[in-house]
Amino acid sequence: MTRPIEAPAWEVVKAGQPEMNLGAIEGALGQGLVVGMLGGFRAILADFLWIRTSTIWERRDRVKLDAMIRLVTTLDPRPDFFWINGSRMIAYDVPNWRIREEGGYDKVPELRQHALDLEQAEQAFDLIDEALEFHPGKAKLYLEKGQIYLNRLKDDANAANWFLKASQQADAPYFAARIYAELLRNQGKNEEAYVFLKELHNSLPNVPFAQKGIILERIRELENTLKIPLWQRFEADKSLGASESESQFNAAVPAPHQHEH
Amino acid sequence: MSPLDFCTRIRLIAGTTFLEAVRQKFFNSLLLISIALVGSSTFFQQFDFGAGELKFITDFGFGALFFFGSILSITATTQLFFNEIENRTALTMLAKPVYKLEFLAGKFLGAQLLMFCFTLVITLVLSGILYWRESALLDRLGDEVSLDGPLIRYGDVFLFGFLQWLKFGILAAITLFVASFSNTNLYTIVVSFFVLVICQLQYIARDAYSGMEAGWERLLVFGLGLIFPNFQLFNIGDQLVFDVEKALPASTVLQITCYGLIYAVVFILLAQVNFRRREI
Repeated sequence: MTRPIEAPAWEVVKAGQPEMNLGAIEGALGQGLVVGMLGGFRAILADFLWIRTSTIWERRDRVKLDAMIRLVTTLDPRPDFFWINGSRMIAYDVPNWRIREEGGYDKVPELRQHALDLEQAEQAFDLIDEALEFHPGKAKLYLEKGQIYLNRLKDDANAANWFLKASQQADAPYFAARIYAELLRNQGKNEEAYVFLKELHNSLPNVPFAQKGIILERIRELENTLKIPLWQRFEADKSLGASESESQFNAAVPAPHQHEH
Repeated sequence: MSPLDFCTRIRLIAGTTFLEAVRQKFFNSLLLISIALVGSSTFFQQFDFGAGELKFITDFGFGALFFFGSILSITATTQLFFNEIENRTALTMLAKPVYKLEFLAGKFLGAQLLMFCFTLVITLVLSGILYWRESALLDRLGDEVSLDGPLIRYGDVFLFGFLQWLKFGILAAITLFVASFSNTNLYTIVVSFFVLVICQLQYIARDAYSGMEAGWERLLVFGLGLIFPNFQLFNIGDQLVFDVEKALPASTVLQITCYGLIYAVVFILLAQVNFRRREI
């Protein structure tokens, strides 16, 4: 008798609460217990446990740190703060501690250092992947992966992929796409970067945060590097209000003919 | 038994039960603790890392409502029922032309009135604090943000309160059902708390076994899902109040309300079946 009433309502309620939609039974059990029993109090409990996590982080106890990050994110997976800062601790701090434990940067071979970095980064990526289950499409999380590849693993190719993914999310900051283009340039993919930046410049709104002037500067740099003929060079839409650097460029270089002969 | 007399007797029992309950020290102290806790949420906000201030206070208030409300619903219903049995007033009452169903319904409604007062007070305190903090926040931000309306949908705070009240109603009905065959206060309270835990968590088992092939295990889970109501259905605080994009449709609220009413009525009727056979 209740099923026809309950089923549609439950679908709606469940859809709005990612912690009730976990595929893995272990995850569902943990989350379910927390959500079921603590309700609104889980936020304050997670906060207090995060303070405890910080103390453990100061003591550099990496085993406990990992367990605490898991516990806090299980208790309250809703704020991205716990996921992002937890992954930073795992990816950036723990490798330093481990390298020091093994004798320090001078004594530990670079290969071993890289292996430790990679191992910790994998753990951080797992945490971020889990975070994406609760926050699908959150640009910050994609950026975090990109940052770890870039800053810790010095892997520009993978970093570029994640910055590109971040730039494609609805809440992406403008700089994500710019960094992606820079990473393409770092890899020597200048043509790809040039095409991307041109499209980016056209798609961005004319607001100060979009920094279209900087993008145009980089387009000009790439045009010089790629030796793009003057008449084929990118012409920014003047109707949208040309930036200062664009005006300077146009003053210095006469506009080429629009059609090729 | 005319329906008017039936209603009058239930109303009288409910009224007396409510007055008796309101005078209890347990209710008053629990209410004070809850108000103090909700009131102090702005202090606890200092320890918050993840959520925004208003979200944190709302979470905290909803948490207090659920936690203390559940305790009050179970213990108050148990006490109100067993007081009548232990003081032998139930004997006097049932010796008169009062049916056992009327007695149970009166007790249930009395307890629900008490829960209504509790839920209303907590919701009002929470709304007041939210309004105060929202005003402070908007003053601080000044012209930096342009808003079409308030940051918080206060109607949804009360809607959540109403749904929690319905949940407490099911819990009170379950407690009455347990009390109808139990001999002691303690047994009723302990069993009712276990049922509360099962109801809070039954969705996990159901979801886990939803993909199962037909068989006796599936039937068992289906049966359990039918006996124990799904309390997570009422846990919609996250979707109310702030979430403009995914606001809960009115039809869903109506479905949840019907669901709660059906379970409350069924458990009172089951309690009556047990209580009818009981020697007092």
